[in-house]
Amino acid sequence: MLSVNCPNCGAEVVFRSPALPVKVCDYCRTAVTRIDDGVRAAGEMAVLPFDVSPIRIGTRGRFDGQGFDVIGRVRWGWSDGAWNEWLLLFADGRDAWLGEAMGQFMLLFEKPLEGSLARVVSRLAKGGDATIGDKAMIDGIDYQVADIKDAVCIACEGELPFTAPAGWKVKSVDFRSNTGACASFQHDGTEASLYTGRYVTLAELHPQDLRALDGWTIPSFAA
Amino acid sequence: MSDPAINAITCPACGGTVEMRAAGYSVTIVCQYCSSVLDVANPDVRIIERYQEAARALAIPLGTRGTLRDVEWEAIGYLGRSEGGYYPWEEYLLFNPYHGYRWLTTDGRGWSFGTMLTATPDYVSHGVLSVNGETYDAFFRGDAQVDYVLGEFYWRVAAGEQVQTADYVRPGTMLSFEGNESERNWTLNELLSPKEIRAFGVDPPRPWPGSGRPPLPHQPSPYGANLKSFLKLGLITFAALIFIIILFGRKGEPQAFTMALTPGREAISQSFGPIMLPRPRQAVTISAEAPGIDNLWVDIDYALVDRKTQASYEAYGLVEHYSGRDSDGAWSEGSRDKTTKLAVVPAGTYDLVVDASASRWSGSGSSSSYATDGWSGSEPSVSLDIRIAPGGFFLSNFWLALIVVIVPIGFLLWRHASFETARRNESDFAASDSDDDEDDE
Repeated sequence: MLSVNCPNCGAEVVFRSPALPVKVCDYCRTAVTRIDDGVRAAGEMAVLPFDVSPIRIGTRGRFDGQGFDVIGRVRWGWSDGAWNEWLLLFADGRDAWLGEAMGQFMLLFEKPLEGSLARVVSRLAKGGDATIGDKAMIDGIDYQVADIKDAVCIACEGELPFTAPAGWKVKSVDFRSNTGACASFQHDGTEASLYTGRYVTLAELHPQDLRALDGWTIPSFAA
Repeated sequence: MSDPAINAITCPACGGTVEMRAAGYSVTIVCQYCSSVLDVANPDVRIIERYQEAARALAIPLGTRGTLRDVEWEAIGYLGRSEGGYYPWEEYLLFNPYHGYRWLTTDGRGWSFGTMLTATPDYVSHGVLSVNGETYDAFFRGDAQVDYVLGEFYWRVAAGEQVQTADYVRPGTMLSFEGNESERNWTLNELLSPKEIRAFGVDPPRPWPGSGRPPLPHQPSPYGANLKSFLKLGLITFAALIFIIILFGRKGEPQAFTMALTPGREAISQSFGPIMLPRPRQAVTISAEAPGIDNLWVDIDYALVDRKTQASYEAYGLVEHYSGRDSDGAWSEGSRDKTTKLAVVPAGTYDLVVDASASRWSGSGSSSSYATDGWSGSEPSVSLDIRIAPGGFFLSNFWLALIVVIVPIGFLLWRHASFETARRNESDFAASDSDDDEDDE
């Protein structure tokens, strides 16, 4: 854990994961970036619009027997909506994304784009296109392209593996299977990344410290 | 500490305050005052389509909450839909920030609770899909359109929007597909019981056949469950019958007695005993046999008398045998033995009192060697063997009981079949035999 003062406002900024280079200051929304001899300010991030997500920074949970904390979030928008991607830091130091869209959750780990790739994935990685229904086998699982979106970063908060400036454009392609396994591909014009995992329910993550919302009862699985 | 769950926005068309209940998810809101379609994907609310008309009154006013399957849901959106203007149905979008979205769907014949699937169904065979190990049969295929919109939605919804649909069913659940070139979604719609839908303040519709409309595609036969329980009950009853027959029908050790009767004489009364009946209640089987008799009948009155209470259980038996020769040749009829049963006799020590008389038959005369001296005292005596044993199997009771079990099962089977025919006749994939039924009507 690294504790520094925000180069912009002086507030305490805590980096929990040694592997993550960016933390958005909770007070002034400055992106504080780690450099060799300390930190530097990398611009002010946009304000997150109001939403009623049940997740917040500090929510804890378990996945496959391993505890995690929610430490960061990027909100993406596209022509017909928006979604959240929450960054999870696991007890063993790994991180993962909890995608939250249309009230459904996908838990995804980054998978290096190397070795032999499914044809659709390798075409996408080269900047090509995909079509709904295209088939791809990743790690022995049959997927189909379920969703293709041109997304724009709206805002971000907390610790992140990258600076996520508002207006940052990515192509996002989601894959589904008949087992609940899912995958997501993102390409921002220079870099491509692939994430694999599965759909989860909030209940099976045994969440703690969910966000309380007026008029709604926090479910018993999170009590 | 709790954050607000409602975001109030001002309708740019009419200035009304519209409550957004799923901020961050909602993309489209139809203003509840002026019906204008608003884009709320961004903080600056834009008008997509401007209207000035009062919103339709809904069976479930938006904002209504109800608990279904242990989770509280709020109705936040409403869609009026149809197949090109025909077969209209309604869909309510339900929301709970901790559980996401669900659907409440009705076409007036019943209500279903829909959950969008995150895994695509498995292909089993032509027209058959499976989800979570349960199979669904193809029922209907079509194109659905949106006719009317109110409230808020997590996608850009508009009247006139069209999708392809396909429905697959199993009793109680419908698996629905909706898709276009950019999206494919599968939803599992579980039929709600009339009691469950009352949670949203809705009166459940009358079920088939009182409704006058065909059953819902995924409506389970109301007789199916009864049929199952009657079949189960029938099996249990049958097993119990067999058990009772074995238990109570099991004969005890028989006791045998013999009487000598002279045909034509006064009835002889003889008492045999003691006869021990050990069980609290039992049947008693008494059999009589008069070996070798011919053209004779023996009337037998039995009285089983309790030594202690003098209670008497009475029965009657008759053994008879006749033979002769006429124009058709030799004939014989009657039976030289006869079994008589007493149904329920309590435990005790009994005497069997037998009153028996043998009589000579001389009706057809000539061939009988004794015929000429009919009432003579020189008749040889007839021996009557009597056996008595506790227990006995009443076959007639068994059949009666079996009928009592089978008749309601048969009735239910018939009702079940007519329900299933009415249900399947609605299907695009109706089996050929149910088409025939339709033609017959």
